[in-house]
Amino acid sequence: MTAPREPVGRTRGDGGLGNVWLVARREYVERVRSRAFVFSTLLLAGLAVVVALLPLAVRMVDRATVTRIAVTASEPGLADRAVGVMDGFLNARLSGGGGGTDTMFEFERLDDEAAAVEAVREGSVAATMLISRGVDGGLDMQVLSAGGLGPDRAQLLQVGAFAVGILDWTASNPATTRPFVVPGFEVVDAGAAGSGGGAASVDAAEYASRRIVGIVFVMLSFLTLVFYGLWVASGVVAEKANRVMELLISAATAPQLVTGKITGIGMAGLTQVGLVLAPALLTLLASDRIADAVLGPAAGSASSLAALSPGLLLAFLVYFVLGFALYAALYAGAGSLLSRAEDLQIVALPLSIPAIAGYLPAVLALSGGTSAFIRFASFVPLWSPFVMMARLSVGTVEPWELGLSVGLLAATVPLVTWLAIRVFRAGVVLYGQPPTVRTFLRAVRHG
Amino acid sequence: MSLVVDHLTKRFGSVVALDDLAFEVAPGQVFGFLGANGAGKTTTMRIALGVLEPDAGRVTWQGTESHRLPRSTWGYLPEERGLYPRMRVLDQLVFFAGLHGVPVGRAKREAVAWLRRFRAEDLAERKAEQLSKGNQQKVQFIAAVLHDPAVLLMDEPFTGLDPVNVMLLREAFLELRDRGRTVVFSTHQMEVAEALCESVAIVDRGRMVIGGRLRDVKRATGRRLVRISVADDHRLPWLASVPGTRVIQVGMDRSSIELDVGVEPAAVLAAAVAAGVRVVHFEIADQSLEQVFIEHVGRPPDEELHLAPADGDDEPADDAAAAAERAAAAERADDPVRAAGKGAA
Repeated sequence: MTAPREPVGRTRGDGGLGNVWLVARREYVERVRSRAFVFSTLLLAGLAVVVALLPLAVRMVDRATVTRIAVTASEPGLADRAVGVMDGFLNARLSGGGGGTDTMFEFERLDDEAAAVEAVREGSVAATMLISRGVDGGLDMQVLSAGGLGPDRAQLLQVGAFAVGILDWTASNPATTRPFVVPGFEVVDAGAAGSGGGAASVDAAEYASRRIVGIVFVMLSFLTLVFYGLWVASGVVAEKANRVMELLISAATAPQLVTGKITGIGMAGLTQVGLVLAPALLTLLASDRIADAVLGPAAGSASSLAALSPGLLLAFLVYFVLGFALYAALYAGAGSLLSRAEDLQIVALPLSIPAIAGYLPAVLALSGGTSAFIRFASFVPLWSPFVMMARLSVGTVEPWELGLSVGLLAATVPLVTWLAIRVFRAGVVLYGQPPTVRTFLRAVRHG
Repeated sequence: MSLVVDHLTKRFGSVVALDDLAFEVAPGQVFGFLGANGAGKTTTMRIALGVLEPDAGRVTWQGTESHRLPRSTWGYLPEERGLYPRMRVLDQLVFFAGLHGVPVGRAKREAVAWLRRFRAEDLAERKAEQLSKGNQQKVQFIAAVLHDPAVLLMDEPFTGLDPVNVMLLREAFLELRDRGRTVVFSTHQMEVAEALCESVAIVDRGRMVIGGRLRDVKRATGRRLVRISVADDHRLPWLASVPGTRVIQVGMDRSSIELDVGVEPAAVLAAAVAAGVRVVHFEIADQSLEQVFIEHVGRPPDEELHLAPADGDDEPADDAAAAAERAAAAERADDPVRAAGKGAA
């Protein structure tokens, strides 16, 4: 045996970063120019816009459904008046146009407050409106809901409540000894009724929005990492199958080829994500205006964008870049052990298993869970791009947790890339049988 | 100051690909690396390129170990040819030259110049997948030489080439040699090596068999060859009377006779004259490289290109037939002898 050698290719005059750039640029140009890229980008962008418009569509469909509201009041006659006003005001507004018969709300008076609360709990009504008179003579309206009242309907109900307040002021007190007071209005979770938990009402709406944003991010991370990772593997296999690899490996070093390929394909992937997301984001931003045009000015905003902060977008970018580098390195190493494009599925499934395993805790995290397992999963480098994005979206992350998670991921990337390069170096000159665990280990040892 | 393959050993699992292989290539030479498939030619080249690590030994060029040399020292034409199918020819050439550090402008100029010299300038804008196999090989060759490497390693460059392209490639080799480049190519086609190489190395199963200057290798066995043309029976029945001779190639015009060590070519001519054969051409030559190869390795270099002998393909019957033929021919051999000894001595 000879003395220990320097790693192959680490010599002066071997192109260094210049070759990484050349390989990356070639990969990028080839991907972005390919017909598959153009078509899939158009398709996904269209799909994303449709998804972005979905909340709006739901609201349009929602217009046709009837929300049952129970009304109880602390004064006799007040409940009847309120039912009359809101029924006339809210339902007339829509049927007034074309004489349609669609009713959005159905109000019924219940005298027993306890029965009304019970009705909400058992779901026979979407919400119960409790009307009481405050010390200033104005009305206070508390809407108890157990999730059956969407934010849109709640806003419409507020408009109705406003009308009740005005009529109450003009009708019941002609002398006008007291100034008009805007009626108090709050939506309260039925579970928290009576405890006056006004904060919970705001959170429920925003929380839903966060979950939607979180689901989008988790799915996007999952799909892009696995999908673009497969690009890397199939790129390596294609070069081996058509034997360009022989020429490549004699012209550039394995580290140059691996990092160049990952960079180029990563940039192409990022380009596609950008091209897909930009129109969808614009659609979301414009959806309030679209809603105004389609549903009328009183429809209010869906607030589905509320949770989409620049910070979250930045986190997604960081996790995408690092996560992609990690997955792409794995895919590059695995791809180099194959000889034919048909063998790609041999590595495609095993490599997607860790991603799927990370997808599950991410979904759990989206529903607000912060169990020890979910916390742990958000630090595991292969999983953190999904799980931590989910936790960030629903806002259950301490700053140090984020730092640790990103740090671990960033530290793992060069390690795994180094390993992938070793496998790649040995793998690209191996042709023949599909890889086994033993070939893999031998490649790592001797690479 | 040469290319030294210094006692390379390389195993793949239990298979010994290279077994203490050692030879030298003088700079500025065309060198033939000869062997059958599986002899270790590709493995040796990959080790030189730094793509594979040897288990023992090393390859040096001008005293520097190969893995310390910049990769642009080498120009490599792999045995398995391949290009990016959907990339334009000119783009690929510029890309590969770029990996070797050639600036875009120069790479373009050189690529176009080489394409023109191969009478293929119209290929520049085409995609590789649209090219014929021969044209793809031209492009591959250009990709290997575009950065003007000091040493060219060409793995079976003539395999699968049509005769026109073989001629073009030969000329390119000789031109590169004249420019001071060292050209090493592997082949199992002995005629090509014989026509092009100043030196050769014959390898078998990873072991060096014989190497050196072509002439020395061809004379190494001490056997000589007689090429003869006769006006009459080209099967040379009279040769049976000269011990230690074998007809190795029968031709209507010219036949080759191999002589054992110690058998004088003059004895063949004398026998012919004695048999009254009219000799039109008589030439003493060295053994062909093919014969040297068979003699040292024990089988022809392209053995696997031919069908294995069928069952019952019995040699005795063959011999009997040949003997009968010779006997019959001997009876007819009564023509006057006219020897035209050409190139004798």
